[in-house]
Amino acid sequence: MKIDSVTCVACGLCVPYCPMGAIKMDEVAVIDADECVECGVCFRSGVCPADCFMEEQHPWPRSVRAVFSNPLSEHKETRVPGRGTEEMKTNDVTGIYRKGLVGMTAEMGRPGVGTRFTDVEKVAKALARAGVEFAAQNPVTYLMVDQDRGKLNPEVLGEKVLSAMIECLVPEEKIPAVVRELTEVAQHIDTVFSLDIITRLQPDGSVPWERILHGLGVSVSINGKSNIGLGRPLAEV
Amino acid sequence: MTHTLHRRGTLENLANDYVVFAMSAKGINEKDSANRMREFMRIAQRYNPVNMGDMKTGNAYSVGMERVIADIKDTSIVHAVFTELETVAKVVQEVKEAELGISVIISGLFDSAKGCCQKTGLTLHTIEHSLDIWGKTEKLAPQDVLEITTMCGHGMVAGNLVVSMAEDVKAGRLTPEDAAGELAKQCCCGIFNPVRAAELLKAMACRLFP
Repeated sequence: MKIDSVTCVACGLCVPYCPMGAIKMDEVAVIDADECVECGVCFRSGVCPADCFMEEQHPWPRSVRAVFSNPLSEHKETRVPGRGTEEMKTNDVTGIYRKGLVGMTAEMGRPGVGTRFTDVEKVAKALARAGVEFAAQNPVTYLMVDQDRGKLNPEVLGEKVLSAMIECLVPEEKIPAVVRELTEVAQHIDTVFSLDIITRLQPDGSVPWERILHGLGVSVSINGKSNIGLGRPLAEV
Repeated sequence: MTHTLHRRGTLENLANDYVVFAMSAKGINEKDSANRMREFMRIAQRYNPVNMGDMKTGNAYSVGMERVIADIKDTSIVHAVFTELETVAKVVQEVKEAELGISVIISGLFDSAKGCCQKTGLTLHTIEHSLDIWGKTEKLAPQDVLEITTMCGHGMVAGNLVVSMAEDVKAGRLTPEDAAGELAKQCCCGIFNPVRAAELLKAMACRLFP
């Protein structure tokens, strides 16, 4: 994103709109290009009275910033707008998550902090050590050059994005290993991540990992997403 | 993506926050699903949602509900936000009877979603829990700001904008509803709950700037 410094009227109205705090006032408004994640909020908000914001097409590797930060950018391989896969939203039809196999996602940089891919790689490597399977249709997985080790393409490591989702399939018995690895790596990153778990409910409605996570001291939310099983054809899982 | 997950709040202030949304599965039931999603949105619209949207088009505040519905594509994800559980139950009942065949998700308090499904003879199929925020949490905005910003899972609502809006409310430059509407515009998908945001902004204005 760029601001036309000639037409900027230095009103400062745009400054609070930036989720990364990357717009500062000098004589006119200026964007810190290294901190800008190309999310497009400033442009789309229409807050600028002089229409000074100009969206740019960036070459690789900076191009990853918009793909991961601007929800209007569609990831060309998955055709899913946003940063991840369909995950549990269509599990009634896809049957990806089933008995004994949960989904876990570490969404790097969320909420509102942002992340460099150096930190994404640290967490991906930790998850790889725990023995997860990275989700095939996920933009972070596409950036991996070694899925067994969670290693990313080194060309993107310095890029900053609003968030990046590391999505995994995890056999239930590996949940403790995942938690242990994440607890350790969380101390060595310069950002945050929001963690989640996806579960195909048992016929009696029970959640099989509840006791495991409670025993590990992991906080579990009272709210979340519930797929109510109306998709057809229904997957048999 | 987990755009409606990780909404922060208390049992009390999450009790008026439900997103009901629908999508088709790529390569399985995607073909011609736009019309089915359009029907889903027409049903939702009859129950006066406080916001609606499609990531590909925009939301009720940015482009208006009619444009959102008109521009739905097979690859869309369509959302409607409600503040009352009874309304959600009625929407789910009607969506079930319509037999649209697309996946439908309720985002909100689990006990409420479960109760809502029981009323309509449905059982929850797959659920997704947040397991909190990990890492350098000292970088996070304060909790009251997060309760508002996390209503846009793509992070389009800036913490600084929330504080700025709370200042404007306190100074009488904006009503809480207008301030919440400005925040809602930033969330492309239309999953931001402006009614809940207005209540939280009012409380924040009193706390931050006594």
